[in-house]
Amino acid sequence: MISGFQIAYKNLLRKKSRTLLTLVGIMLSSWVLVSLLGFNRGYESALNRDIDNMGYQLMVMAKGCPYEAATMMLQGGTGLRYIEQSMVDSIVIRPEVDKVTPILMQAFFDPDKGDGGGIAGYFGVDLTTFPTMKPFFRFRQGGWFHDEQATEAVMGFEAAELEQREVGDMILVPEKNVQLKVVGILERTGTQDDGTIFVPLKTLQRISGIDKITTIGIKVKKDADSAKLEAALYQLPDVQVVSFTQVKQTIMKLVATARVMVLSIAIIALLIAMVGVVNTILMSVLERLQEIGILKTMGAMPGDIFRLVWTETLILCFSGGVAGIGLAFVFARLSDILVRRVLPYAPGGELVAIDLKLALLTLAVIVVVGLLSGIYPAWKAGRVRPLESIRGE
Amino acid sequence: MKGKAFLKIFLTAFLLFFAAAVPAFAAVGCDLNDPDRDVVRLFPDSTGYKTSYAAIDKRGGEPLLRRVEQRLRDRFHGIYETIDVPYTIYEIYNGKRKVGYIHGVNQKGQFGGIQVFVALDMEGRIKSFYIQKMTSQWAKKLRDPKFGRQFTGLALKDFEAYDPATGKASGKVAEIRNPAPEAEIDFRAALRALKKNLILIDEFVFSAERGKP
Amino acid sequence: MMTTESGVSLEARGLTRVYRRGSEDIRALDGVSLQIRRGEFVSFMGPSGSGKTTLVNLLGCLDNPTSGELELAGRSIFGGGRILSERELTRIRREVFGYIFQNFYLIPTLTVRENVALPLAFYRKPGVDGEVERLLGLLGMEHRLDHLPGQISGGEMQRVAIARALVNRPEILLADEPTGNLDTKRSEEIGEVLQELNKSAGLTIVMVSHNPNLARLGGRLIEMRDGRAYES
Repeated sequence: MISGFQIAYKNLLRKKSRTLLTLVGIMLSSWVLVSLLGFNRGYESALNRDIDNMGYQLMVMAKGCPYEAATMMLQGGTGLRYIEQSMVDSIVIRPEVDKVTPILMQAFFDPDKGDGGGIAGYFGVDLTTFPTMKPFFRFRQGGWFHDEQATEAVMGFEAAELEQREVGDMILVPEKNVQLKVVGILERTGTQDDGTIFVPLKTLQRISGIDKITTIGIKVKKDADSAKLEAALYQLPDVQVVSFTQVKQTIMKLVATARVMVLSIAIIALLIAMVGVVNTILMSVLERLQEIGILKTMGAMPGDIFRLVWTETLILCFSGGVAGIGLAFVFARLSDILVRRVLPYAPGGELVAIDLKLALLTLAVIVVVGLLSGIYPAWKAGRVRPLESIRGE
Repeated sequence: MKGKAFLKIFLTAFLLFFAAAVPAFAAVGCDLNDPDRDVVRLFPDSTGYKTSYAAIDKRGGEPLLRRVEQRLRDRFHGIYETIDVPYTIYEIYNGKRKVGYIHGVNQKGQFGGIQVFVALDMEGRIKSFYIQKMTSQWAKKLRDPKFGRQFTGLALKDFEAYDPATGKASGKVAEIRNPAPEAEIDFRAALRALKKNLILIDEFVFSAERGKP
Repeated sequence: MMTTESGVSLEARGLTRVYRRGSEDIRALDGVSLQIRRGEFVSFMGPSGSGKTTLVNLLGCLDNPTSGELELAGRSIFGGGRILSERELTRIRREVFGYIFQNFYLIPTLTVRENVALPLAFYRKPGVDGEVERLLGLLGMEHRLDHLPGQISGGEMQRVAIARALVNRPEILLADEPTGNLDTKRSEEIGEVLQELNKSAGLTIVMVSHNPNLARLGGRLIEMRDGRAYES
C-alpha cells in the first residue's frame, strides 16, 4: 500500500535540483526571518537588563540640569544646578519608594589631560544607600569607602585603567588639588559607571564647597504605582523627573521603526521564497498533467489530487523552514561566540535569542504562508480533466 | 516642557548606549590623541605615517619579557603593565622614505597615568620628547617643552646605566634636571617610561632591522 | 455485478459529440447506438478523425456526450440532458472501469508494486487485498516487484499498466491503442495477455487499435467512419 504522503514526497524527488533550489530559497528566507525575530527579542531583553542594572528607576534632579555624566562632561561641567539634600527626606517617606540615594555630580577641568585638557567626572555617593542600589557591582580590587567622610575613591574599571590606578594608589582631584586614596576598583559593568570615579558624598561636598546635591536616585517598590509616584514628584519645586522606563520606551520607539523596516525585508524575502514555491509546484503540475489525468482514471477525486499537490507544498515549506531555523540556531551560537571574542564584554545572555517557542512560531508562519500560496496550483491540478490532459500529447 | 523633556530623554538614551564605548583590547594601549596633528608637530618634515601595534606576548612571549626587564633593570609591575599590552608604533614617512618613528608607553604616575611619547630618527636618537597626559599639580613643569628638550639627541645607550628603582643615573642622563623637585616620583616615572619606551622600540623595530633574532 | 439478466453491460443510444472549433461545429460522433455484452472483447478500428477514440471515451465515462444516452447495466448514466460533474464521473469510473493507454503512464519514482497499488490509495473496493501480488503474478511480473519503470522493458511496462488497471476489479477494461508503443513481438504478447484475461476471467474489453491483427483477436470488430459505426 502506498500513502498520499509517499507519493507527494517521491514526486518532489523527480526533479532533484529544482526541489533543492526551492528548498534553499525557503531555507534562506526562514533563516533571515527567525534570526531577526530572535534578535528583536534578544535586544529587548538586553535593553531591559541594562535598565535594570542601573539600580534605580527614577532620578530627580534640578530643572535644566544635564543629568548624564557624559553630557555633563561634554558641556564642560558648567551649568550644573543643585537641589537641596533635604528633598531626600520628603521623597523617602512616600509609600511607593523602596530606596533613595542622594548623588552629587561634579566635573573638574584637568589642563594636563591631553593637549587641550579634559574633564574628570566625579560622583559623590552616600555610603549607606548607594551600594545597596547597585548590588551587582563587583570589585576587581578592594571595596567601598570606610566611612562617610573618608578621603577615598572607588574607580570604575575604565577610569582606573586609564590612570593605571590600583588599590592603594593616590589620585588627584584637578582644580582643587586634593589627593584621594583609591580603595576599590570595580569590574566592568558595561554602563557609564565604568568611567566614573566614586567619592563619599560628604567628601565631595567638602572638596567642592557645596552642601547640596545634583541627583536623587529612586528605587521603586516592586508592585508600586510608578506613574503615581512620578506625578507626585513632578509637584516638587524646581525639579525634573527622569524615568528610565520612559527612556526605555523612547529607545524602543526609535528601535521600533528600524525593526519594522527590517521585519518588512524579512517578510518580503519570505514572499519571494513563496513565489519560488508556487512556481516550482505549478511547473511540476503542468509537467504532470497527463499523469494527473491518469490518476483520475484510477479513481482519484479532485480533492485527492488537491491534497496530493498541497502535500508537496507542505513538505517543501516544512523542510525548508526547519533547515533554515536549524541554520539560524547554529549561526546564532557562532555569532555569539564571535561577538564575545571581539568584545571582551558583551551584554550577558544571548544577543540573538532564538528559543523553541520562536522557532515553532516562525515555522508555523512559513508553513501557513506556504499552504496559502500552494492553494492555487493544487486547485488547478484538481481541476484537470483526464481526457484533455491525456489527449494533450 | 514636553519637547524639552523628550530631547533630554533622547540625549540620555543616546548617550547611555553609545558613551560607554567598549575597548576591544584586554589591556589599554597608548595612542596619540590626534595623530594627524601630533605627527606633524613632532616630525615637521613628515608627509605621512603608518600605524601598527606590537605586544610583547605576540612578539616573543616570556623570553622577550625577561630580556626587556633585564635591560630596564626593573620588573613589570601591577595589573596594567602586562605582557599583552599593545604598544602603538607610528612609522613616519617623507614621501616614500621612512624618516623615523613615534612610540608611546603608559606609565603609572603618582596620581594618575602618564603617557610618554618619543619621536626617534632612523638611528634611534631622540628627536622629541612629549608627555601627552599627566595628572599632577606640577604637571605643567614636566610638560613644558624646556624639560623635553633635555632629551633631544639622547639614545638608548645613554640610558643603559639608568636604574629606575633607585633613580641613579650616569653620563648624559645624570645631567637631566628635574624642574619640579616636589614631583620627584613623577619625574622618575617619566624617566622609567622613557627608558622602557626606547627598549621596546629597540626590540620591536631596530633589532628586527638589524637582523637580530 | 453490473449486468442485467440478459448480460448487457453497456448500452449506448444515439450518442453524439460535437466540438466547437473557432466558429465551426465538428461532429466527432454522430448518433451512434450499440450494445456490449458482458464478457465481450470489442475492437474499434478506423482512420484518424473517425470518432473511434471519441466513442470509447464516452463509453468509458471519460467525457459527457452532447446528446444521447448511455446505460451501464440498466442504470442510466448519460441522458435527459444531464451533465455529470468530474466528481460524479470519477465515482462511476472507479467502480466499473480500468484503463490502459498507448503511453503507459507509470510513475517513474514508484516501484512496479507501488505503481500497481496506486489506485488503492484513492479508492479501494472491498475484497481486493492481495490483488497487487496476484495480478503481477498473473502477468508474469512477480520477479520485478521492486524495480522502477526505468528498469523494465516496454512490454513489461504495459503489463504493469494492465495490472494497475485491474487492481480494483473493474468490470470493463478500456484499452486505447495499447500496443502503439511496442514492437511486433511485444504487441503479440500483449494481445495474448488481453485474450487470456477475456477468456479465463471473463473481463469485458473495449479496445481501440490501428493494428488489424490485434483488432481481430477479440472476435467483434466495429469500424468507424466519419463519426458513425459500422459492424461487420
